Amino acid sequence: MPPADLALVLTALACLGLRLVGVWLAGGMSTEHPAIAWATAVAQATLAAFVTLAIIAPAGALADVPLAARLAGLGAGVTVCLMNRRWLLPALLTGLVVMLGMRALV
Amino acid sequence: MNRSVVQADTRPGWFPCPANPRTMSGMSTAFLPGLREALGAAGVAMAATFLAFGAAAQEAGLSPGWALLACWGIYGMPGQLVLVQAAATGWAGGVGTAVMGAVAVNARFLPMAVSLTPVLSAGDRWRLLPAVPFIAVTPWAAAMRALPAIDRPSRIGWFLGFGLTSWLVAGTAALSGFFIAAALGPEARAALLFVNPLYYALLLAADLDKPAPRRAVLCGAAAAGLAFLLPPAMALLAAGLLGGSAAFLWGRRRATG
Repeated sequence: MPPADLALVLTALACLGLRLVGVWLAGGMSTEHPAIAWATAVAQATLAAFVTLAIIAPAGALADVPLAARLAGLGAGVTVCLMNRRWLLPALLTGLVVMLGMRALV
Repeated sequence: MNRSVVQADTRPGWFPCPANPRTMSGMSTAFLPGLREALGAAGVAMAATFLAFGAAAQEAGLSPGWALLACWGIYGMPGQLVLVQAAATGWAGGVGTAVMGAVAVNARFLPMAVSLTPVLSAGDRWRLLPAVPFIAVTPWAAAMRALPAIDRPSRIGWFLGFGLTSWLVAGTAALSGFFIAAALGPEARAALLFVNPLYYALLLAADLDKPAPRRAVLCGAAAAGLAFLLPPAMALLAAGLLGGSAAFLWGRRRATG
């Protein structure tokens, strides 16, 4: 099997295993269980760390965008979202437009 | 029988319930609202990210079939990108190293599955099996936000509608990205790559009025500094574990103090 296919199969199986283990571990637990609260905190913290790194120290093409533009886009999007928490799509588009605008200016 | 949705899960730790409650009667009727939700901001974020992934796969010399199966089989962008980067170097570090790196950066699937399971279903693991392949960041975040406002019997239907739609959007976008890679300049790629973290930031920001998520976001963002000390494949997992555990203990201390 070519290395790319082997890597894909092994990674897909391992990721499926992680999901199945999580479902199996949590099956039967209530949403009030401390382990569920801990797992939720870990998942949310992981997401927050991912966002922080993607904005502050991104890799790839995003690294070519000035930090000021990335922060401005993030700030604009979050501001719109905080004005109305159901405005996810307008907030997303606002953040993107502001990032691109700032990139053109900086 | 249609039943009014009850916002039963108001404890800290969940994403906020949508302000407009919905009325649903069962799994089949919940599928369509899930599908519609996946075609909103989540779909835009998903499509943008997977377009960029398809272009990266093409540049690494991989096939369109590989790109599609990576989306559907792994369904976790950081892990997919680890494999693409390894392919771009000709698997110089070995397949085993690449696989371990990809699994490590996608290890968040485990706590996400743990936290999502009791929200989706009351104890019956087997009913959840069709939903398992769709447990990933975007469906998880959307589900934690929307499901508390949906009748419990309808939740799996909603999640399957959302997950399956997201899956199809991801695959279609990746294939599109593969075939239009040459037309995507650095600016377009940067814009596409910015959409994904921005979308996640918006989901987290929408939850900042609740103490438990606020603590998790603060601790996770602070722990992101570990990325500068640890190997990249382990940094995100370590930041999540450290930040999440700190946030959890902080909450317990406040509750008992």
